[in-house]
Amino acid sequence: MAGSERDMRDAGPGAPGPREPGSGSGVLRQTARSQYLKESSLRALFLACASVAVMGVALIFLFVGLRGWAIFAKVGVVDFLFGSTWLPTEGEFGIWPLIFGSFAVTIGALLLGAPLAIGTAIFLSEVASPRVRSILRPAVELLAGIPSVIYGFFGLIVLRPIIADMSGGLGFGLVTGWLILAIMIVPTISAISEDALRSLSPGIREASYAMGATKWQTIYKVLVPAAKVGIIDAVILGMGRAIGETMAVLMVIGNAPVVPAGVSEPFSTLTTTIVLDMAYASGDHRTALFGMAIILFLISMVLVALVRSLSRFGKQVG
Amino acid sequence: MHRLMRIPATLCAVAVTAVALSGCGSDSREERQVTVTGSTTILPIAEIAGEEFEEANPDYEVFVSGLGSSAGIESVSSGSSDIGSSSRELKDEELDLGLVDTPIAYDAIAVIVHRDNPVDGLTSDEIRSVFSGEVTNWSELGGPDLEIGVVNRDEASGTREAFSRIVLDGDRFDPAAAILPGTGQVRSVVANSVGAIGYISLGFVTPEVKAVEVDGVAATRANVIGDTYPVRRVLHFFTVGPPVGAAAEYVDYVLSSDVQEGVVSDAGFIPYVVERD
Repeated sequence: MAGSERDMRDAGPGAPGPREPGSGSGVLRQTARSQYLKESSLRALFLACASVAVMGVALIFLFVGLRGWAIFAKVGVVDFLFGSTWLPTEGEFGIWPLIFGSFAVTIGALLLGAPLAIGTAIFLSEVASPRVRSILRPAVELLAGIPSVIYGFFGLIVLRPIIADMSGGLGFGLVTGWLILAIMIVPTISAISEDALRSLSPGIREASYAMGATKWQTIYKVLVPAAKVGIIDAVILGMGRAIGETMAVLMVIGNAPVVPAGVSEPFSTLTTTIVLDMAYASGDHRTALFGMAIILFLISMVLVALVRSLSRFGKQVG
Repeated sequence: MHRLMRIPATLCAVAVTAVALSGCGSDSREERQVTVTGSTTILPIAEIAGEEFEEANPDYEVFVSGLGSSAGIESVSSGSSDIGSSSRELKDEELDLGLVDTPIAYDAIAVIVHRDNPVDGLTSDEIRSVFSGEVTNWSELGGPDLEIGVVNRDEASGTREAFSRIVLDGDRFDPAAAILPGTGQVRSVVANSVGAIGYISLGFVTPEVKAVEVDGVAATRANVIGDTYPVRRVLHFFTVGPPVGAAAEYVDYVLSSDVQEGVVSDAGFIPYVVERD
């Protein structure tokens, strides 16, 4: 008995062993030990899984950092981030036009896509009948499964000529990028927002109806405010998706490394420039691409931090 | 081994020679090896032709690497390669290196516009001012009042490099012009946009788009071969003295009609040797 108790203490609080009084001590020890081994090996397995992911992030960050930091020293942080000329083959490494492009296309896509996605989420969780929901939800989820190159192709072949007819240019530019990205971020934002809405306790809906509120009043006065932390989380994750999107954007924005003169003029983003230039860049140019990767890394770290602090804030409020 | 060689060909040649010298009584292997170094534009043809040449002649090995035309000329004249491939002519200071030129193909670039564009011809100067961003409306070129949509290629493109060298003559491309990765995308965008102008290898021009005359000369194979179409360059194999041994057989193979009408044409180039009936 003493041995088995020690075993169980070692196993920690996460591994409760069976303790049946009256059964033979040998049998009990046998069970407890095999249970303990199973529990602790599973714990090790899951720890390993988590470590691989964390190590992946750490290694990528280390690799990108090591390859890219030199550009900050060489060009200077301010000249690199805010220089307005990206002419890498002639030694001009200003990435401001690319940072501008990344944020401009992302913010516009969010303005278009987020209301669409939140509306979808409200419809799926509050309005739709189970039958309609069972058709619509898989359809929205399917959007997430379409490879981004298909979105890009659709944008290039179908959307771009339409935009070109309206604007008179080639149709490459912010508008085309906004439309494509807005569709692409809908599944991310709507899935998480719907989760947030559905996880609200049914009591607050009933309370709202009991007070005489209509369905619409319940939605916009009670449910959406109650789920707002989850919805903001969803929007931030959608933003992360949009800012990192490469292939679809590459095909519809025209890739000119300048701050565009209008919403239907070609421009570039950080990710598309990395992809296009990686094919031939060498020396400082290559280092500058890694420097841009560092900036992207920092942006996504800020976004993740925002989500984390928001959900902590949400817990305090709730 | 014959696949794309990223390591310098010199290293390869040294290693190969070392193996051959220490070879235990085998016949001199270096005589059955051809090293081709140079132009990245020529790399695809040299490489695929090399693979086919090896298949047809299993005794031979062809090493191909793309380090740029200047590196190719340097490498062949210093003796580290058998053949230096180059997409440019020899410079003055390279003329007395004793290199013999074997032209293998033409790289001609067509300037393409939408089929409905009434402009049929442009001068080299006009093309330069369009691509450098000085001229932005078709009305300045005798066309309708329509914004010019300039379509450029990415900097990794050999076509862009050639176009810049031949037409831009030191000017910069308009940085605000759209950049598309790939001949197919340029062609499809130009085919769909009334105001667009772009450039692609002559071999990839299809009836979807219209290739304009340059300085009054139509972009046709005949005019490229006859040296009247201005936006073209000759792709060369340079050897020290006339090619001999394995190198000569490889060069002959590249000039054969199989390769000229096959690999060379498929890559969008114009054959140097055309079978005429």
